[in-house]
Amino acid sequence: MTIARVAAAAAFVLLVLVAIPLAIAAAHRTDLYYTLSSVALLSIASGGVWLTFYIGRINIGQGAYALIGGYVSAVLVTTYGWSFWLSLPIAGLFCALASVVVGLPILRLRGVYFAMVTLVLTEVARLMALALAVTKGAKGITSIPAPGAISLFGLTLLPAFDTFAERNLAFYMLSTVMMILCFAALYRLVNSRLGQLFAALRQNEELASSMGLNVPALRVLAYAISSFFGGIGGAIFVAIAQSIYPSSFTVNDSVNFMLNCFLGGLGYVFGPMLGTLVLYFGWDLLFQTGEYQLLIYSGVLILLILMLPNGLFSLRLPSRRGSQ
Amino acid sequence: MAPIVRVKELTKRYGGLVAVNDVSFDVEPNEILSVIGPNGAGKSTIFKLISSFVKPTHGEVTFKGEVISGLAPHTVARKGVVRTFQETTIFKGLTARDSVIVAHHLRSRASLIGFYLGTALARREEAEFGRSSDAILEFLGLGEVKNEIASNLPQGHLRALGIAIGLAANPQVLLLDEPFAGMNHDETNRAVEMVRAVRDRGVTLMLVEHDMAAVMKISDRIVVINFGVKIAEGTPAEIQRNDKVIEAYLGVEDETIGL
Amino acid sequence: MEQIVANGLYLGAQYALIALGLTLIFALMNVLNFAHGQMYVLGGFVTYEIYGLLHWPFVVALIASALTLAVLGALIERFLFRTVIRRSEREESTMLLAAGVAYFFDAAILLLFGEKQRGVRKIVMGVFSWDNLILPWDRIVVACLAALFIVAFILMMQFTKPGRAMRALAQDRVAAQLMGVPVEFYSLLGFALGAMLAGLAGGLLVTITGVNSGIGGPISIKAFMMVMIGGAGVVGGAIAGGFILGMLESVGLSVLHAYGDITYLVIFAALLVFLAIRPNGLMGKPWG
Repeated sequence: MTIARVAAAAAFVLLVLVAIPLAIAAAHRTDLYYTLSSVALLSIASGGVWLTFYIGRINIGQGAYALIGGYVSAVLVTTYGWSFWLSLPIAGLFCALASVVVGLPILRLRGVYFAMVTLVLTEVARLMALALAVTKGAKGITSIPAPGAISLFGLTLLPAFDTFAERNLAFYMLSTVMMILCFAALYRLVNSRLGQLFAALRQNEELASSMGLNVPALRVLAYAISSFFGGIGGAIFVAIAQSIYPSSFTVNDSVNFMLNCFLGGLGYVFGPMLGTLVLYFGWDLLFQTGEYQLLIYSGVLILLILMLPNGLFSLRLPSRRGSQ
Repeated sequence: MAPIVRVKELTKRYGGLVAVNDVSFDVEPNEILSVIGPNGAGKSTIFKLISSFVKPTHGEVTFKGEVISGLAPHTVARKGVVRTFQETTIFKGLTARDSVIVAHHLRSRASLIGFYLGTALARREEAEFGRSSDAILEFLGLGEVKNEIASNLPQGHLRALGIAIGLAANPQVLLLDEPFAGMNHDETNRAVEMVRAVRDRGVTLMLVEHDMAAVMKISDRIVVINFGVKIAEGTPAEIQRNDKVIEAYLGVEDETIGL
Repeated sequence: MEQIVANGLYLGAQYALIALGLTLIFALMNVLNFAHGQMYVLGGFVTYEIYGLLHWPFVVALIASALTLAVLGALIERFLFRTVIRRSEREESTMLLAAGVAYFFDAAILLLFGEKQRGVRKIVMGVFSWDNLILPWDRIVVACLAALFIVAFILMMQFTKPGRAMRALAQDRVAAQLMGVPVEFYSLLGFALGAMLAGLAGGLLVTITGVNSGIGGPISIKAFMMVMIGGAGVVGGAIAGGFILGMLESVGLSVLHAYGDITYLVIFAALLVFLAIRPNGLMGKPWG
């Protein structure tokens, strides 16, 4: 990493973790914490979708994993009394494993076929949440306690969220730190050997195969990582919303994750972050237009697509080698 | 010495169409064997069968005594049989150098996690693959353009890049699908030199080609396929005298058969 | 038993009409029309307005639905899809556009027609009974009309010049261009035709099941499923997919009724398994 990039990363982290909270406190707009937390966790899920695009598949099923991850965390915390912090990676891993089972048959499909199948997945997850006993059906799981403390050897590293004066700030920190970690991991992935293999695979699966790349295994790996991110996003959502229902993540959300990636620009690893920010804030801002909200939103979206079919990031100079 | 690749009674049927019909031949180690025949004769299908991109309806392909037909394509590549493609847009969006580096993957012993975390072994391999790629690119005359995006390269360079990628995968047997297509006289000569140099590195080469002059110049032996059936096998001199071969090609006007 | 089959058949005919439009658009432009369900809904509402509220003849209403969607489809293709296809580096951008259009339609429909469930009076009263079979006449008429449109569509594609041109375009765009087929015009026509089929289906079905602004999305998903089952880009596939889904729904609703609302869960799960075995559906052409 060059000095310039390290500096940019540091600046971004400072902006998100220090500057924005200060600004919000100064402006007394603590309601924005919830909005920004949502943006952060949704961008994590969108980042996962971005990775599936990276191997050349259109993934419109991330909502399923967000839902599954959310439920896994919710059930572990409420029924089994686990700590949220432990349930978080477990939720991600569970989703990764589930996605291996799902992915093995369907990743052979390409293009629109794959997209259509993933669209169906979100519905399946929702219907399962309704039908299974452990997920408590349509009532959902509610009254989920906020994340507890993290202690190591008796030392409290992080106090329980309930003890914070401004709980929303704690949630904000949780989601943005996770977002930064996830995207850092994604960036590193894309610039590593694995990223190169994925890129080769997207360009030409047959050639990659003939060179000894185990294409089916690599595809499943990418999909598993993508779904892991989806699960993490869902688990964080549950921590913040403190409840989860079968309708918490729907087909619409899956489509939105995809839209976030597109809007940011599929060639740029940080695209999903920007896309989520713009689309989410855009939607929120338009709330004041009342019944015209969706109309204006979709109208602007269409205009954006017409003008910038390669995403917002394409407004910059051509991308650096690393992020293609 | 035992043949390195044996094709035995290879047959491929697509519904009612028989693309390859009971073809058998052997490939000797370190030779250059060309498979020729009129358009649509089934040559590319044979290559696909050998590299296991397609499963045979009947028959088998063995490599060093082991059956490889029916294995997953990447497994066959790992065993040492690598194929390059007819379509010249290879890894369109990658630079030439990156494409060749990726092809070194087969030689990698560091795990993917190791590469992700940047372990010492991983970093050593990265450096090594970089050097090896540069050497291969130089060897094939691509040194100047190694940092160009593949899709920007002219035809001749693309073919060379295809060979470079094949080489990087460190094959024992390299299958070249129409390596001289679209080349002019000079380019073809250079490419012939390249293929010979690759053979001198110990690689066994199989070619599918239409450029008869090049095929006659470079091949140790030739197998002729027509309508999916092997109609002749032998040295270039033998093939040029073969009646069945002449007859097969006579109907095709724009083929030069190098007689 | 026969009742289930009969139900399945007339559901199937209507579904096939929807699936046909979707598969046509896909075959010609490699675009997954996310807004297909919304087009169906719009068709239903137009018929509701003209036949239900204005009390004009049903045929007029159907024609109005068809024309409205045809015109809209043409406009969308000409001004939206064509621009994006030309300017985008990746082909998935059209999917993004389709999603945006779907949302837009949803919003517009909600604003124009409200959120209430709307129905119209039956086009034919009475019921045809035979043995223990009860077939309402209006359903029979609608199913026959749907079948008629499907046949007309197939005949058009097979024997008319535009139909042949569109089939050539679907097979191989470049080759069609080289043969002098004005591909842009036929893409437009094809999209308009696909939209029209959705509108027709909506107009027909509003007389039976009614329509409301929220069913656009679920109908789109059903259409996708039909195309997945039968295979995308192939007329036979769409028809097969439509009838199969119609049958599955009919069977599922009667048989699985006892277990609660799991009909669709079962259908989805079966679909995933089916696709694992036959990824391109029954008759589809492989992608890419």
